[in-house]
Amino acid sequence: MTAEAPILETRDIVKHFGGGTGLAAGPLVHAVDPISLSVNRGETFAIVGESGCGKSTLARLLLRLIEPTSGQVYYEGQDLTALTPTQMRKLRAEMQFIFQDPFSSLNPRMKVRTLVEEPLLVHTRLSARERRTRVDELLRQVGLRPEYADRYPHEFSGGQRQRIGIARALASGPKLLIGDEPVSALDVSVRAQIINLLDELKGAFGLTLVIISHDLAVIRHMSDRVAVMYLGQIVETAPVESLFERPLHPYTQALIQAIPVPAPGARDPGDRKLRGDIPSPVAPPPGCRFHTRCPHAVEICHQKEPFLEAAGEGRFVACHRWSELPHRGLTGKVGAALTPGAERRFALYRERSAADAGGSP
Amino acid sequence: MFPEAAMPMPPHANMPDPAAFAEPALLRVENLSIGFAGTAANVVDSVSFSIAAGKTLCLVGESGCGKSVTSLAIMGLLPPKSTRIPSGRAEFDGRDLLHLPRAELETIRGDRLAMIFQEPMTSLNPSFTVGDQIAEAVRRHRKVSHEAARERALEMFRRVRIPSPEQRLREYPYQLSGGMRQRVMIAMALANDPQLLIADEPTTALDVTIQAQILELMRELQRETGTSMLLITHDLGVVAETADMVAVMYAGHIVESGPVEAIFRDPQHPYTIGLMGSMPSLGARTGRLATIRGSVPPPQAMPAGCRFSTRCPFADDRCRREVPPFVLGADGHGAACFKAPLEIHIEGKAG
Repeated sequence: MTAEAPILETRDIVKHFGGGTGLAAGPLVHAVDPISLSVNRGETFAIVGESGCGKSTLARLLLRLIEPTSGQVYYEGQDLTALTPTQMRKLRAEMQFIFQDPFSSLNPRMKVRTLVEEPLLVHTRLSARERRTRVDELLRQVGLRPEYADRYPHEFSGGQRQRIGIARALASGPKLLIGDEPVSALDVSVRAQIINLLDELKGAFGLTLVIISHDLAVIRHMSDRVAVMYLGQIVETAPVESLFERPLHPYTQALIQAIPVPAPGARDPGDRKLRGDIPSPVAPPPGCRFHTRCPHAVEICHQKEPFLEAAGEGRFVACHRWSELPHRGLTGKVGAALTPGAERRFALYRERSAADAGGSP
Repeated sequence: MFPEAAMPMPPHANMPDPAAFAEPALLRVENLSIGFAGTAANVVDSVSFSIAAGKTLCLVGESGCGKSVTSLAIMGLLPPKSTRIPSGRAEFDGRDLLHLPRAELETIRGDRLAMIFQEPMTSLNPSFTVGDQIAEAVRRHRKVSHEAARERALEMFRRVRIPSPEQRLREYPYQLSGGMRQRVMIAMALANDPQLLIADEPTTALDVTIQAQILELMRELQRETGTSMLLITHDLGVVAETADMVAVMYAGHIVESGPVEAIFRDPQHPYTIGLMGSMPSLGARTGRLATIRGSVPPPQAMPAGCRFSTRCPFADDRCRREVPPFVLGADGHGAACFKAPLEIHIEGKAG
């Protein structure tokens, strides 16, 4: 996994919005500023951050759905930013996007069959009959009945609509799937179905996943490596276990300590020192962008911008003081201590629901 | 609207409420049912719960379970033309909120009884400064001068820890961040020292670090003021951090309720168990998540028996036919399930 060339890589990619002159005048927004990352083949790479940190912009840059202000994106060694539109369109079969909102990302006037068939028309030379068979197969793979193919999106629940979105993304036979908050709009029980589905599909099709999320529990469950973003920059990247057990950047620590834990009394009230709001990306603070909220900030943090540096075990962190700070991760319990009866009940529930579902509903 | 009146009451009406035998209740909701025009099944059906003074009850459930509708009914905020309340009482401070004359309800609301919503931007008036809005809320219920109301607004801003409060009072909602707006909403809700605060998903629209600040603030304020709270949420993490008592709702029924410790350590109802099992853990990875198959039945296709029976891995014919009664244990923890506790009913049969 390490020796192989990464499937996806960015070099100093930057995206600014606005900042025009004359009629187009507006404030310059530093959405992504600059970022270098690489995604290994077959892994699930997560990008986490709060609203306005630039994670959705980054996701769109990775597939060149929007043009970068500067910098490059390499997919399988090819510089996407240098490709012509025709070359890019061909390559899109291999890289697909899953959107957050299954309600607005499907055309309400198209039947499910047409929606899932569309990428086949664009990217394959299958005959009408072959396409029909393929659509049925894709629907089954995402846990929908092929009989549903003649219905419209509004006839489906949120979870089913997200399955349709996934079937559509899979249709062109991609190697890389990028999901922008793919489960955030869903209810807890449905969210679990989609998380399991993405895990299964990843195994079955040998996919590489990039998941953008603000939900640390989802990221903990799904990903292999994580990049933490703050105000347009990556502040830390690490394998998921070490990130949660020993977060190096003060922002990562604050994020992890802010998660409400589903166990009464588990939280130490001394946690959560983070004060204040996220500054505007129009005027990011000088020096370290996190210094305005950081409990550990000193003089140098106000003046000098820290860059990502290697921190061992495949980790990188952008903080002047990371090596001298305490690395508080998840403290205390992460779940309630169950009674023996409840332990049995959870086990029974799992057994029984696996037995009578036999996979997806 | 008319045929329902003749229908017999469901057999499980009047669930006992757990908090009842501990402390006197500030709010006692009994047998509340709510329906929407055009659908026969009630979206909230025979729901009972109570909240003791100074305590927090969390109503937890997924979208469409009726948790928000329940709170809106208590506040008298449901549109009367399209909703019906075939049964129920909501006794607050000795009065039934559901059958109060409009004028009397309006005196209580925003005063003894306050509410905050998920999206503070849509609950604030965009064309007035936030200071004016709080002052107005004070003057609506107290005979005080403009200056005194202003003074109260400033005091409230300090209490909800808004930085540079004098300046913030003069700002409009759009000038504030989401977290600040929610602080303003809390300041406004608490300005008249309510006895009960109803909070509907108060932190759902906020980022996780801001959510942590707001939850901490709400806990601190509750300690200072002794306000009771009805907190509506879908997030079990938020429940664990705020609740004294918990009621789990599914498709308009309370399927399980009890003290927060008991709900998390010893869940009884298969829905509660499924819900907890579907949450990704923050600990070491455990493989597949447990799931609840299918989705919530729509009100027009509500099953006759237990409403969870279409998704429950343990359901049998009886569950599909009869509505299970709510059985309350000695510790104030109870569930509405024929199969509870599962390890006895299911394992006993299998082994």
